[in-house]
Amino acid sequence: MALPLQAGLTPMEVAFLCEMEMVTVVPRQRLERLNLLSGPTPALRPPHRAPLPLWLALLLKRQRRANILPPPWLLPSSLERILKHETETSPLAFSPPPPHPHPITARISPTDHISPPFLPSSTAEAPPDYLPYHWLELGEILLEAASDDVPEPDRVRGLLRDLREVRMSKMRGSVKVLEGEGGGVSKMTGVGAMEVAEGRGFILGVLDGLRRLGSSREVARREREEEEGGGEGSEDEAMGFE
Amino acid sequence: MSYYDIDAILTDNQKVPCTFNLTLPHLGYLDSAPGRPLPSGTKVDLPLWLAERLAVSQLTPQTSLITLDLPPSLSPRVMNALKADPKSVDLRSLAANFYGLAERILDLFEEEEVCDVLLESWRVRASEGVEFLRGLSEEERVLFRSAHDSSKAMRVWMGEMKKR
Repeated sequence: MALPLQAGLTPMEVAFLCEMEMVTVVPRQRLERLNLLSGPTPALRPPHRAPLPLWLALLLKRQRRANILPPPWLLPSSLERILKHETETSPLAFSPPPPHPHPITARISPTDHISPPFLPSSTAEAPPDYLPYHWLELGEILLEAASDDVPEPDRVRGLLRDLREVRMSKMRGSVKVLEGEGGGVSKMTGVGAMEVAEGRGFILGVLDGLRRLGSSREVARREREEEEGGGEGSEDEAMGFE
Repeated sequence: MSYYDIDAILTDNQKVPCTFNLTLPHLGYLDSAPGRPLPSGTKVDLPLWLAERLAVSQLTPQTSLITLDLPPSLSPRVMNALKADPKSVDLRSLAANFYGLAERILDLFEEEEVCDVLLESWRVRASEGVEFLRGLSEEERVLFRSAHDSSKAMRVWMGEMKKR
């Protein structure tokens, strides 16, 4: 409370992180390799497609040196299917995140641990019908900066709004099913970065309230356990009398 | 809760009904009879911070100075109303810092059922929110504000995108 900073990331910070995502561009001009910290970019030769990080693609797009290919999941047909999945197929759970592109088998391989920011989930080869981690912010950024590259931008914008509404109300509703005591954490698979940023304040607040109200019971339970277990660990005791 | 937390201070300041177990000289003004002793068995509303200390301190191993009663905002009547429909109860008129008070009282009393009812009503009221803002307790307002702030930050960001 002393520090006016909120826990977690602000929407602007999330959007900044999102600019690391790879997107596919169709260059209009030649551009040699650029040596970036994340490695060299491919040499751009029109009309060959090339993957670039979003921030660079946006820069080239603003200078009219390239067009951005929207990822397949951002097409209206795909968004409609996702929305249908959210509202009809599974009205309680979030739609699943994209499947891992490298098959995960019993044998451990280094690709097992690559997770969304480092997996190209928004290039032209990304699977349709799945919302990746940065879906909301990437969709919004593309609609703003490259709306002429997205087919039916107004419909896409409307669908993104609908999806956000549906999923936020699910997130709010999820606290209803939380268990009061102990292990009731609702399932959040498939939630995007921006949704986490938006829902954090509310969900943490609810959980904190539950924790405070249940704290007396928790202390009593701990004392009981201690009596039964013959006083193991003085740490618990110290915590009980805060 | 920090030392300077205004909500914690306000919570501490809420009155709870107490019964004195001793006759106390010169304290009659607490019961609107100044100059006379306060007879044992008198019921007086004391602020929580004082009542808690007095109830915990023991004169002899059997008796303490005062006996705490459940405050009216946590009475069985309120609990039944919360059980019936958590959303319809105006918690703010009962106690501004309702949950803070409840938390402290639950530390002092062993009230399993009250605890259950409060957990449930916190959960249900949190997920409904908006329409009955007037009846929200202070804690619920804080929660509502933080949820509102994050969605406002989100809208601001979306608005800024438009400008560029």
